[in-house]
Amino acid sequence: MRLELKNIWKSFGEKEVLKGNSFSAESGKAFGLLGRNGAGKTTTIRILMDVFSADQGEVRIDGNPIDYTKIKIGYLPEERGLYPKKKIIDQLVYFARLHGMKRIDAVKAIDYWLDRLEMAEYKNKRLDTLSKGNQQKIQLVTALAHDPQIVILDEPFSGLDPVNAMLLKDVVKEEIEKGKIVLFSSHQMNYIEEFCDSIAILNKGNIVLQGNIYEIKHNYVRDKLIVRSEEADAIVKDLGSCCRKRSAQELLIQMAGAEEKQNMMKRLTEAYDIDEIKIFEPSLNDIFVEYAGDQD
Amino acid sequence: MKQFGTIFQFELVSYFKNKVFVGVTIFLVVVIAGIMFFPNVKNLIEGRDANAAGESETAPEGTGADEAEAGEITGALLLFVPEEYRQDAKGIQDAFQSSFPEYEVLLTEDETEQIKEKVMEGDAECAFVLEGMDAYTYYVNNLPMYDANTEIVDEVLQNMYRVNAMVNGGMTAEEAQEALSVEIRHETESLGKDQMKNFLYTYIMIFALYMVILLYGQMVATNVATEKSSRAMELLITSAKPVSMMFGKVLASCLAGFVQLLVVFGSSILFYNINKAQWEGNGIVASIFDMPLNLLVYMLIFFVLGFFVYAFMFGAIGSTASKVEDINTSVMPVTLLFIAGFLVVMMSMSSGNVDSLLMRICSYVPFVSPMAMFTRIAMSTVPLYEIVISIAVLMVSVAGIGIISAKIYRVGVLLYGTTPKMGSILKAIRKA
Repeated sequence: MRLELKNIWKSFGEKEVLKGNSFSAESGKAFGLLGRNGAGKTTTIRILMDVFSADQGEVRIDGNPIDYTKIKIGYLPEERGLYPKKKIIDQLVYFARLHGMKRIDAVKAIDYWLDRLEMAEYKNKRLDTLSKGNQQKIQLVTALAHDPQIVILDEPFSGLDPVNAMLLKDVVKEEIEKGKIVLFSSHQMNYIEEFCDSIAILNKGNIVLQGNIYEIKHNYVRDKLIVRSEEADAIVKDLGSCCRKRSAQELLIQMAGAEEKQNMMKRLTEAYDIDEIKIFEPSLNDIFVEYAGDQD
Repeated sequence: MKQFGTIFQFELVSYFKNKVFVGVTIFLVVVIAGIMFFPNVKNLIEGRDANAAGESETAPEGTGADEAEAGEITGALLLFVPEEYRQDAKGIQDAFQSSFPEYEVLLTEDETEQIKEKVMEGDAECAFVLEGMDAYTYYVNNLPMYDANTEIVDEVLQNMYRVNAMVNGGMTAEEAQEALSVEIRHETESLGKDQMKNFLYTYIMIFALYMVILLYGQMVATNVATEKSSRAMELLITSAKPVSMMFGKVLASCLAGFVQLLVVFGSSILFYNINKAQWEGNGIVASIFDMPLNLLVYMLIFFVLGFFVYAFMFGAIGSTASKVEDINTSVMPVTLLFIAGFLVVMMSMSSGNVDSLLMRICSYVPFVSPMAMFTRIAMSTVPLYEIVISIAVLMVSVAGIGIISAKIYRVGVLLYGTTPKMGSILKAIRKA
């Protein structure tokens, strides 16, 4: 199954929130939707979930307009919250039924998930008696219990301790293996790198970068060197403005072009006492900062 | 539709599981039971007391009037008759005594100052100093709010004066007495509604209408705002259509309110019928339970429609608030509108003219008509076509308000931060 968002435009009043964005995600793979706060991620998700419709553009499944009566979507919103004063089992069944499940199936599925997330003992408790992390796990059940084809997880790892984070990772991996489309939105790039094959970075309503993470990294222009040396200060003095200090002994050197690599390496190793010299390969974090930051 | 059912059920169950809801209902039923069974309990206790005192054999079941005559003399009443009427003093005293059975009427020839002193010191409850057969001064220590003594004396003296005049004119005293005390029999037959009889139950029903609409309407608003502030809305809005959410909530609270009304009114009627014998003599209580059945049907119609008008508005307002605390100020305009309508109806009711121009107009204005038209139906005779028009207007308004509210709701639930201005809401609705 292939989920496509095509040329999505959306504005609220005067403010244009999405400016003609397209991206696609496939079953059995996770897709990372990145961007700073206010970049348009939540709006994109809401359009995808039919909370409101786009001004222009459409959401397609395998080339046809999405049919919300057939495609089920599970959603873990960034702003968590359920009914604090109600029994956990009651509200979980309620949400599962809103997603079209029969009561008996809902109870069965919820029992499975509570068990899977080690929350079975809290089934009959009120939500507000639980810790924040545990409330989050309960909320995760609302996103998964109705066995949706598309799972949208907005900052799923925030607020979880390492053990719970591990548990959630396993669950997410299982969902991907089951052939679901998992849409991730997170600021924790290590998780994105771990799960996602493809990403799209939103900046002020535009998708500024998208594609396969490996390819993005590989195609990144290899025109920077990382140099570690006791004589860092002297190198800075020698090379001037193209040289930036990353730490006391580590330098990032911007070359005129990728083809300069050998010349520059030769020049530095001959002139100075170099401990380490290598081409700079950006982490996803670096890429994010570069693309999602202000680009004026 | 399926979602609507799920939401409706969830909300309704929430009401019935709500401790306050259950508590208030039980409390009301217990209070009503207390009132309705009161005469039984009272008789039981009094009967037991009487037995304990050993007085049961000496006929404690005497009528109220007998008991009062038998020995409830609460004090002395001084009567001063001027010299020229002294020969009639005995007759005057007798007339006073029969009009004031609770006092011991004593003739006095003291000076006014002494009489005043006696009254002030409590030797006598009060004193009447006659200056002639048509003028007197009434002395009393503390004048109670409802003192009818002067009226009684006025009548006594008037009567004596008339008898005297007639006797002087040639009638015998008996003839004169008979002529004066002739009793006129009369019957009233109200061909429309009897406002004396239906005032009380109309009052109770209007008040119930007022309470339930306001209470449950506010509950709808608070419910929506709670979902927003707890962010359950984030998930709800992606799981269900706003229209289903809104209608599910409003209908559920309508049914909850209706059930509460039914329990309270139903138990009242039940308890009344159990204790009917005890209450038969009490005109007020009997008149309350004498409400005609078709009025209950009208009440049901106007309750449901009136409830929808307000609950939709409350729901829409709830959706625009980001915090539960904001609700109280946000709902103020709607609450005031409702209270204003309530006051108009109440005032018309107590003025006795429920068919005034204002009330006629109000019975077609959807925000007031549930109360206004219901009052007119209950207390006056309203042509059927007026009722039909009023209900039709109300139904159309319910549909209109429902659609507009659902639109506000759709927009409102996703807005966080400060409560949006009316203008921006309207703009958003037009776009939605």
